[in-house]
Amino acid sequence: MPITCLPRAIKEHAVLTLFKARSVITMNTAMPRASAVLVRDGMILEVGEPEQMQPWLEGQEYKVDEQFADKVICPGFIDPHLHPSMAAVLLPMEFITAMRWKLPWGDIDPVTTADGFDLRMQALHASKEANEPLFIWGYHQLWHGSMDKARIKQVSDERPIIVWHRSFHELYMNDAAMSMAGIDPAQIKPGMQIDIEQGHFFELGLGFAINRLNPWILAPEKYAEGLQRLKQVVHHGGHTSIGDLATGLFNFDTEAQALAEQLEGDDVPFRTRLVVHGTRLTQGGRKPEEGPAMAEALLSHNTHRLSFARHIKLFSDGAFFSQLAQMQEPGYIDGHHGEWLAAPEELERHIRAYWQAGYQIHVHVTGDLGLELTLDILQKMQDEKPRFNHGFTFEHFGFSTPEQIRRIKALGAQVSANVYYLHELSDSYAKSGIGYERASQMARLGSCLKAGINTTIHSDFTMAPAEPLNSMWVAVTRQNHAGNVMCPEERLSQQQALEAITINAAHTIGLADITGSLRAGKRADFTVLDQDPLTCEPDALRDINIAATVFEGNVFPIE
Amino acid sequence: MSEPASSSHIKPVTLIGGYLGAGKTTLINRLLNQPELPSGTAVLVNDFGDINVDESLIRSESNNGNVIGLSNGCICCSISDDLSQALDQLNTLPITQVILETSGVAEPARVWQHCHYPGFLPKAAVVVVDAVNFEQRSKDKYVGALVKAQIAQADMLVLSKTELNPHFQLNNLTPQLTSRDTKLIETILGWQRAGAHAALASETTKLPRFSAQTWYQEEAVSQRDIDTALRALDASVQRVKGWVETDAGVLQVDKVGANVAIKRLEQDAKPNILGLVFIFYVDQNSRTQGNPLTDWEWTKTAS
Repeated sequence: MPITCLPRAIKEHAVLTLFKARSVITMNTAMPRASAVLVRDGMILEVGEPEQMQPWLEGQEYKVDEQFADKVICPGFIDPHLHPSMAAVLLPMEFITAMRWKLPWGDIDPVTTADGFDLRMQALHASKEANEPLFIWGYHQLWHGSMDKARIKQVSDERPIIVWHRSFHELYMNDAAMSMAGIDPAQIKPGMQIDIEQGHFFELGLGFAINRLNPWILAPEKYAEGLQRLKQVVHHGGHTSIGDLATGLFNFDTEAQALAEQLEGDDVPFRTRLVVHGTRLTQGGRKPEEGPAMAEALLSHNTHRLSFARHIKLFSDGAFFSQLAQMQEPGYIDGHHGEWLAAPEELERHIRAYWQAGYQIHVHVTGDLGLELTLDILQKMQDEKPRFNHGFTFEHFGFSTPEQIRRIKALGAQVSANVYYLHELSDSYAKSGIGYERASQMARLGSCLKAGINTTIHSDFTMAPAEPLNSMWVAVTRQNHAGNVMCPEERLSQQQALEAITINAAHTIGLADITGSLRAGKRADFTVLDQDPLTCEPDALRDINIAATVFEGNVFPIE
Repeated sequence: MSEPASSSHIKPVTLIGGYLGAGKTTLINRLLNQPELPSGTAVLVNDFGDINVDESLIRSESNNGNVIGLSNGCICCSISDDLSQALDQLNTLPITQVILETSGVAEPARVWQHCHYPGFLPKAAVVVVDAVNFEQRSKDKYVGALVKAQIAQADMLVLSKTELNPHFQLNNLTPQLTSRDTKLIETILGWQRAGAHAALASETTKLPRFSAQTWYQEEAVSQRDIDTALRALDASVQRVKGWVETDAGVLQVDKVGANVAIKRLEQDAKPNILGLVFIFYVDQNSRTQGNPLTDWEWTKTAS
């Protein structure tokens, strides 16, 4: 795997910088607030009051940076679970979505009607060069009505137009797009997972379409463009660290090389913790027990911003957005079952291999039965080889029961939740999924914090917007898209929610020694806000303006 | 992507399903090492991990390492989590039929839908059932519903490890074979779901065909009649299995080739389904014109 090691910019004179702020929120309980941070060569020398920092400054060249004097400095935000490679595919597309998305190149206003969707398609069509294919993402029948080829044709017959469902699991295209992709309608027979009359491709039919659209969506230059956009999104959201929680999702070598080219270098304002996709790593005839040694070999490829560690990603049950989470009784209202992404015995075998090797294991769990299985396996591991401080993390954490919270605590595990599920899905899952009681209690985060479980929240971008302040807002208000507060008992305080996106997230991806809070010795990673996220009105959280981020002492303004 | 001429032929797909450890790989290994595997058969497996092909049979390996060419003109191909890519790749190769090993956690009905893919159609769903562990698995809180669904969705069941649990019974009338049946591989290759897509008919005439018919019993018959009828069956009937209510009580019938085994069940062991399932070889030239069970109709008429 060729990863080029780029040298850090070497500063000839380590000039000290004293950042002054209206307030500094440290997330260090021993000194929760301060007014200044002193930085040398990317490292925090001291957090506190300027007058107490004189011993550092005597005889040293230093400058006072007052550009944030009326702002609030927070520890740099961290999203501990997103997917840069998936985002790179999606971000070059145009968004028409029912929910608000704040993107660096413009806010995407919600479009919640069929007419609105058509108008927006027409506007996008008018804005494009002739014959340039138009890829649209975000369609959902619940808001935008039923989609078909004829509807796309009303926008244009000549321009190839591809409309992707919000779930990413299906798409529609017009004849121009089909001929661009080389899809011959004569080949498509009734019964296939393709409705050629409607231009609709789903399940394996979607795979058929993607295999033919790949030159437009996965071409190296497109992929590079997508990663550049991701870089902007991550910066715009105020992050200074992220976790790629399934490196190797598509193709390990291609991804690793593209990440090294696009997400390393002085212009990249964040670091990425790479957590390799465990079953992909040993795919092709390797035994799970060989995995830890293979993962170990990746550590030698680490660069300054991109680093593997002894972390591994594994999967339990199916996609939350597709109602394939495995549920305990009484299950789904319509009686369907979720799915396992691997047989329980296989999951256990992989977990055991990495547990024995001392790894921190991250398991994708969505339903309470998926969680129960993974807890049972963790219990077995603790019985076989007790470990402290193992950092076993439940990722996504859609549905859970109060009893499972106690087990998570007892087994020493932690939680990384996609709290946005609650915002976008709790309303529809209450009506046509699992009923109000359980739907309102998805993302049971208040209980986790109360139990003293290290708990963080993530976007799983592109499942949710990569906006930590938006995730924080959902965790604090538990307001869904319909405007209803779902299970206020599980709300987080603003303090807890800010911990979740800073220090707790750093613990989850193994970066707490260098970032996640502001104290002497850590990297100077800040997110600079116009308003104070601990004292503002909860409802204002998601609209707080992010003025800049600081990554290892370097300021990266956000326009 | 260019579409080669060969893709105009519809390739039938036979699914081999069953839960992890049921014996799918053993069965696939047996298939792959079968010298009579018809040339042009593509065997799609989840992972080469436990696949064991006799080295003398291996002819070539592709650049990207996911296709192994065999000297009998067949190929073995790993799916690597993307069935659509594997099928598109097969569309560029001169193949005539596909054996598809499903993931251990897949529901055959779902994969069946997936096999309605340009250039392919599903032909049969074979599910391997582990005679040792099935009982326990079907009650498991995590996978019980899944293993029961896998069986319910099968056209044919292959019982594995029966030597370790000879009395294992699945109480249903889905055609069942065991991994010790001598004609197992031929039967699997020739199996076609009743009512499978019409487009397959013309494509599969070159292959041997097996089929099954189920007779649901409505009225009791005499033991003597059933015994006579079983022995009078055409030689193309490979197996008969099921439960019949007679004047002598409920009988469990198990006919393999010419051997008829009839066992009387205890009063309280009466199964909830009564009937017989027949597995037979379809010979287009025989006097029965493909259906050796025309004579069995007497029971139907009698009821």
